[in-house]
Amino acid sequence: MAASFAAELLKLRKRPATWVLAAIWLAFVILFAYALPYAFFANLPEPEVPENAPPEIQSEMQAQNEAASEQLMSQLYPENLTSYVLSGFSGTGGTLALILGALAVGSEYGWGTLKTVLSQRPGRLGTFFAKMLALVVMLALFVVLAFVLGAVCSLVVAGLQGAPVDWPPLAELLEALGAGAIILAAWAALGVFLATLFRSTALAIGLGLFYALALEGLVFGLPIPNQTFQDARQFFLGQNSSFLANSFGGEALQQNFALSGSDIGAAQAALVLCAYLAAFVLIAALVFRQRDVT
Amino acid sequence: MIHETSQMDNRDDALLVQIRGLTKRYGGRITAVDDLDLAVKRGEVYGFLGPNGAGKTTTLRMLLGLIKPTSGSATVMGEEPGSPAGLTRVGALVESPAFYPYLSGRDNLRVMAHYSGVAPSRVEEVLQQVELSGRANDKFKKYSLGMKQRLGVATALLKDPELLILDEPANGLDPKGIADMRAIIRKVRDEGKTVLLSSHLLGEVEQICDRIGVILKGKLVIERTMVELRDREGGLLIRAEPLEEAARVVKNLPRIEESKVVDGMLQLTVDPARAADINATLVNAGVRVSELRPDERSLEEMFLELTGGETV
Repeated sequence: MAASFAAELLKLRKRPATWVLAAIWLAFVILFAYALPYAFFANLPEPEVPENAPPEIQSEMQAQNEAASEQLMSQLYPENLTSYVLSGFSGTGGTLALILGALAVGSEYGWGTLKTVLSQRPGRLGTFFAKMLALVVMLALFVVLAFVLGAVCSLVVAGLQGAPVDWPPLAELLEALGAGAIILAAWAALGVFLATLFRSTALAIGLGLFYALALEGLVFGLPIPNQTFQDARQFFLGQNSSFLANSFGGEALQQNFALSGSDIGAAQAALVLCAYLAAFVLIAALVFRQRDVT
Repeated sequence: MIHETSQMDNRDDALLVQIRGLTKRYGGRITAVDDLDLAVKRGEVYGFLGPNGAGKTTTLRMLLGLIKPTSGSATVMGEEPGSPAGLTRVGALVESPAFYPYLSGRDNLRVMAHYSGVAPSRVEEVLQQVELSGRANDKFKKYSLGMKQRLGVATALLKDPELLILDEPANGLDPKGIADMRAIIRKVRDEGKTVLLSSHLLGEVEQICDRIGVILKGKLVIERTMVELRDREGGLLIRAEPLEEAARVVKNLPRIEESKVVDGMLQLTVDPARAADINATLVNAGVRVSELRPDERSLEEMFLELTGGETV
């Protein structure tokens, strides 16, 4: 399987689509996670102070505004690196991972390269799991790149604001890296699963995006008071990605993202995502092994 | 429809491909391959002939483990189709060559070399073998059909296989490309390797195959050596003056199965060894013979006859 892994890695590494996705991911971190929020937080509109308000009230409101601005800005500081960067994994990161997973498998069907590969030597399961392993390596790179870039951006923000540079503890950083990898891997596995099932890239990406962007929202919007239904919502892929992504950081930050009526812990969310990951990969592997390559 | 099989060397160790009762049905209605029996002997070039849709590619895919048969069995190199042990010794090009469009020819081969577990140095060797070294750094998507076909053959040669399975390797090639492809196959055969070559072009296999099997509607309808095929259909062609008199004279000769005038020549179905006797008889009868030669009808005509008129 080591040789097949080398082949899969070579394919992913040389594929322009991989780096386009990586570039989008990194652009997202720079632009939407740091540059735009910084510009917004640094230029919060002045509060409307009544003209006849006493000076002490005016200065108190001014101070409150500055405090609010500083509190928002503090999310971008190095000390909040883990929670802040990780919060972007459940939405954008998951979507990009889904596309990468679907591309890695679906293209083999589209180009007809599966017959060429399987006519060599490796065996179907060996090929499949080598592909999964290469995908995991690439996703790990996505995770590390996001955190490295986030660290650089947070350092710049701290420098601009004259804030102290305090990094999160190493253990927390490692946990965040692991959490990020689990989130991306679960979504990539969904892409792999759909691409294997439908032997297509386009349909897999389309259905995956429909699930990620619409289906969960629609289900959550259903006015069904049944408790079992309410409980079942806690086992959705997107929900648990959000739970895990937002389980780091302080209470204030978590409140910004917390889902109503939910008290799912990080461990449980990680477990649910791992279950999804295992189920998607195993079912896809079985289908891949059994099906005719036409 | 005629179903014939030639006498075969039944020693199992000499058979690199052995197919018994192989059948593939799709959805219970379409039978792509129907109770097929076939064997390829070590060291031969076996031509697997049939029109489009006859079941050639489906059979080859089953031999490579890409699709599973509905019933029947097959062994390739003594192993189950698709098993790594068997595939290690088999090189294959099935249908149109499929590679990664964003990779160069060289990188595509590097990828396949990884899968095959062969040394990277083989990549350069096979590139030279198919004369693609000069364009090896070009992206696959920029290759012409002929270059893609060459890359497919290069991939098949990567493992330096004992058995080469080539599915329509001359598809899309220009005359020079076809000649080159034949040269590659001959070279492979001369190295003692075995080739299973599928084609719908009779002329292609006629020149390079030792034995052929014809498949029609999923069934093997004939399996013969080329020598057997040519010997079986003897005859003479005679150009003479006056032609009507020549026809009248030969009609009275014994052991002539059929005589007819085709394209200004007299066509006789007769043992070609009787050419001198027939020539003497005609000359003695006052007929001037300007040409007398064996009637080497093309394989195509033979197949039309053998397969009841279905084109191959």
